Amino acid sequence: MKLLVVEDEPKTGAYLKQGLTEAGFITDLASDGVDGIHLALAEDYDLLVLDIMLPGIDGWQVLQAIRRSGKDLPVLILTARDDVDDRVKGLDAGADDYLVKPFAFSELLARIRTLLRRGKTRESEWVSVADLELDLLRRRVTRGGRRIDLTAKEFALLELLLRRQGEVLPRSLIASQVWDMNFDSDTNVIEVAIRRLRAKVDDGFDVKLIRTVRGMGYVIERTEAE
Amino acid sequence: MSRPLSISLRLNLLFLIILALVLVGGGAMLFVVIERHFQEQDRMEIAGKLVLLRRAVANVRTPDDLAMLPKHLDDALVGHHGLHVVVASAQGKLLYAASDRAFPADWFSAAVPSTAIAEAPFLSWERDGMTLRGLVEAVPTSIERAEPLRVGIALDIEHHLMFMQALLRALLGAFVVCLIAAGLLTWFATRRALAPVRDMASVAKGISASRLNQRIAAEAVPSELIDLAQSFNGMLDRLEESFRRLADFSADIAHELRTPISNLMTQAQVALSKSRSSDDYREVLYSGLEEYDRLARMINDMLFLAKADNKQLVPRYEDVELSAEVDALFEFYEPLAEDKNIRLMREGHARIEGDPLMLRRAIANLLSNAVRHSTMGGIVLLEIRVHARNAVQISVANVGESIPDEMRSRIFDRFYRVDPSRHREGEGAGLGLAIVRSIAEAHGGQVEALSQSDGARFVLTLPIGRVPG
Repeated sequence: MKLLVVEDEPKTGAYLKQGLTEAGFITDLASDGVDGIHLALAEDYDLLVLDIMLPGIDGWQVLQAIRRSGKDLPVLILTARDDVDDRVKGLDAGADDYLVKPFAFSELLARIRTLLRRGKTRESEWVSVADLELDLLRRRVTRGGRRIDLTAKEFALLELLLRRQGEVLPRSLIASQVWDMNFDSDTNVIEVAIRRLRAKVDDGFDVKLIRTVRGMGYVIERTEAE
Repeated sequence: MSRPLSISLRLNLLFLIILALVLVGGGAMLFVVIERHFQEQDRMEIAGKLVLLRRAVANVRTPDDLAMLPKHLDDALVGHHGLHVVVASAQGKLLYAASDRAFPADWFSAAVPSTAIAEAPFLSWERDGMTLRGLVEAVPTSIERAEPLRVGIALDIEHHLMFMQALLRALLGAFVVCLIAAGLLTWFATRRALAPVRDMASVAKGISASRLNQRIAAEAVPSELIDLAQSFNGMLDRLEESFRRLADFSADIAHELRTPISNLMTQAQVALSKSRSSDDYREVLYSGLEEYDRLARMINDMLFLAKADNKQLVPRYEDVELSAEVDALFEFYEPLAEDKNIRLMREGHARIEGDPLMLRRAIANLLSNAVRHSTMGGIVLLEIRVHARNAVQISVANVGESIPDEMRSRIFDRFYRVDPSRHREGEGAGLGLAIVRSIAEAHGGQVEALSQSDGARFVLTLPIGRVPG
């Protein structure tokens, strides 16, 4: 997967490039709008991360130029201003998602993966990791063949983790996807919910599947200790 | 719309117009009275002469006497200068004319009998630059069956007219002088009367952000301006309060940022002071990350509040069923509540117009606050009820410590914490309730904290319908 980051702030740009490269993406960095348009049109990218506040040609113009040329790659906008106007303007102009600075890198990663996945994979009726299996049709969970009883929200939480296994999901994303809480809410709640889910899924098993990544979020994966 | 005329100019013009009307009216009346007086005088003088003339005419008994009449008349009129007398027969034949100034051509036809002479209108005419005024009477002779003679008698009234003209000039002069003097006086008077307004303006000029404590002494202004002075002072009170809050807020921000940033700096410096294992470095980074996360959330909350302060927090109204929102929030907080063995209970339901995201956030903050301060095994009760027909009250009560009275108004201030010692461990930065208040106000509602013997209760009051503006 190949990404283009258009960001004029050198430090932010460098960290974004490093982080995304380390997350497994081939990442190019453009430090102004002109380079951004040039690269976006010359190369074939899977996704564009676009800062709105750029010197000279700003992000809106970059977005416009790219859309006008007929490229329909997903665009994620970074903005320092949390204005509804900006949001609406961005989505109208053909952006697919936006993030307000300061944002958590894990949040950016999760959004990028969501955009890249969009419309590509059909959601299956079964998801599993190691010996944990989710039957989405029957709403049934088993681990090592043993049935686990979950509440509806616990099921939704586990489903989210499983569908994006291996990805660190930030608390804000979990709150938004599972409980539809689209604002900075009490993150204690997610902690407690994960702890309770973990008690049902991992307690009594040698291999712990749900892992906490401090300061970033939660991930479900087959650990190396296996 | 153009600027209205200045008050002094308006008062001046109004006063001068009134004064001019009064002076013109007075002058005109004076004119009429004097003119009438002159006419009376003339009529009396003419009447006196008519008595003489009547007697002379009455002495005419034969046609011969008639021929002698001019001579008798001359005798009777000796010494009467400025008097013009003509006598003619009923047919208009001139019998006598003691005048170098002819009467108008058909003067004799204006004759009235002596009984009506007191009310007869004057004849007036001009000859050779002179103005005359006279009466014509039908005076009977003593000749039997003869028609009465026409006797015309007129006075030269040129001296009256000259007097009237001199009077007019004098009045006009006085009029102009009066108007100028009155204009100056009213200008001076209005300036003096408006002096308190200028005083207020000079107070206003002296006010700046750093000198907001100036006030207008309300007892020193005239009664008409008390209202204005009081409103002005009220405005200053509110401004001073907002400025104080803003200054406090800036100080609070600095303080709130200083602690975490100094922590981060110290931590990084200590970590770098010697070589460590990668686990140690990782620990420093994780710990830093948590701090950054808190800072980022605090900044987001402060931006939200700043937007509310700038009146940019405009709700996007939708039909919201509050009970559904509350149930969704209960689902969210359920794990946390169960952890502390707290029961979440809802009573009532209502539909209102509001911004669903904002309302959810406000109720979430109240719930989070209630769960955090509830005692283990307690109950958090959320009641929704229609209040006064056009408002809905959402009350969130928890069992626990009650809120001291002196803190109930300040509890919604930014960064305010009931217990300052629980600074760091508590979840938020003390902005949650401030956000609730901003959201309530953006919807035209309000929020208040009530103290109960066994806990705290927050009541969020929201209008059912949309509030314009």
